[in-house]
Amino acid sequence: MKTSQNFGLFYFMLTAVQIIICNCFYLSAYVTLSILPVMVLCMPASWKTVPAMLTAFVTGLAVDLLGEGLMGINALALVPVALLRKPVVQAIFGKDLIEREEDFSFRKYGAGKISLAVLIMQSIFLLIYIVADGAGTRPFWFNAARFGASLAAGYVLAMTVAKVLLPEDRK
Amino acid sequence: MFIMNAAIFIILEVAALGMLKHSGTLQDLWISKGIHTVTAKVWGGLESVGYYFSLKKKNDVLAEENFRLSQEVRHYRMITGKDYAMDRITVPDTTGDFRYLPATIVKLGNNSQHNYMIIGKGSEDGVAPKSGIITGQGAIGIVDAVGKHYSYVLSFRNSGISVSSRIGREGPVGPLTWDGRTSKGAVLSEIPHHINIEKGDTVYTSGYSSIFPPDIPLGVTRGWKIVNGSTFEIDVQLFEDFSALRYVTVVNNINGQELEELENR
Repeated sequence: MKTSQNFGLFYFMLTAVQIIICNCFYLSAYVTLSILPVMVLCMPASWKTVPAMLTAFVTGLAVDLLGEGLMGINALALVPVALLRKPVVQAIFGKDLIEREEDFSFRKYGAGKISLAVLIMQSIFLLIYIVADGAGTRPFWFNAARFGASLAAGYVLAMTVAKVLLPEDRK
Repeated sequence: MFIMNAAIFIILEVAALGMLKHSGTLQDLWISKGIHTVTAKVWGGLESVGYYFSLKKKNDVLAEENFRLSQEVRHYRMITGKDYAMDRITVPDTTGDFRYLPATIVKLGNNSQHNYMIIGKGSEDGVAPKSGIITGQGAIGIVDAVGKHYSYVLSFRNSGISVSSRIGREGPVGPLTWDGRTSKGAVLSEIPHHINIEKGDTVYTSGYSSIFPPDIPLGVTRGWKIVNGSTFEIDVQLFEDFSALRYVTVVNNINGQELEELENR
C-alpha cells in the first residue's frame, strides 16, 4: 500500500527508533547516528516544503526532548534538510518526478542515485549538527573526523530506513 | 511560494536557535557571539551607507575649503618677501590681475567635437564673458555666454579653443588645442624645432593670454613630430579628466577689457 497513513505510521515508529538510538547506542564521540535526514528525504512527494519543514521541526524537537540531546539541535539541523528536499530530489531524479508528485524507489532509480540523495541529506544534517554541537570549541580535525565517521556509519542505517519507507519498495 | 518557504524556514531556525541557546552554556556563548558579529556587521553596513550618502555634502565643503586654501597660496606667493605675517592676511578673491570664483558644473556636454558645460554661477556672481575656467590640473574652458545665475562655457575639448602654453616654466610658447580624439589628448604646436624636448616635460599655461593666469599645469609631453620642416607638433597628455569634472574655478582678468581695447586698436 502506498498511502500516507502507512508512511505516517512508519515515520512515527522510526522517530521512536531514533529516540532509542540516542538513548541506548553510544558508539563513540566521533559517531553521531541519525536516521532523521533519510526520514525527511523519503516523505511523500505530494508533501509540500512547508509541511515537510514543520514535520521535520516537530520530529527534531521530539528527539531533542526525549533523546538526551541539546534542546533544538536536531530541529536546527533537520529543517534545512526539509527545505532542500525537493531541490535535491529534482537534481538527482529529474524534474518530472517532482511535477508528477511521484515517489522515487530503488526499483525505478537504483541504489546509486538513492545513495547519492541519502549522502547529500545526511551531509547537510551532520554539518549543521556537528558545528552546533561543538559550538566553536572543537578543532577542525575533530569535527571533520566526526563528520566522516558519522556519515559512513549512518549511511548503512539510512539505506535500510529508505527501503522501509519508500512505498514501492515496501511491497 | 519561495518567500513563504523562506519565511517559515527562518522562523523555525530562529526558534531552534533560541531553544539551543538556552540549553547549553557553550551554545549560549557561541550563539551570542554570532548574534553580536551579525549585529556589528549590520550596523557597520548601515553606517557605511549613511556615510556614502553624506559624501556629496562633504565634497562641497571640501571644494570650498580647497578654493579658500588655493587663494591663500596664490596671495602668499604674491607677498612673499614682504614683511607680512600669514595671520594678518585676509584672503581676498583677487590675486594679481585675476579674480577667482569657485563654481560647480551643473551640466556637462561630453560626447561630441563641440563640447560645452554650464556652470552654476552667472553675471550676478561676477562672471563675465571670456572668463577662463580652470582647476588645479588644467584650463578647462572659456565662458561664452552669461546668464543671471548660470554661464555657458566652451570646453577646451572643442575644435575652436586654444590655450597659450609653454613647455616648463620658462620654455617656448605655443597654442595648445584638443586632439579631437581622446579625452586626455592635446596637441601643442608652433614650437621651434631646435628646442630640446624630453618625454614627460610638464606643459603650463604661459600667461600671455588675457584669459588664463600663468603656471597652471596642463599636462605632460609624450611624443612629437616635425611639421613643415620647421616646427614641432607635440603630443600632450592632459592631467585633467574631463569626464569626472564637477568643481571648477572661474578666473576673470580684471584688466581684460583694457587689454582687449588695446588689441582692437
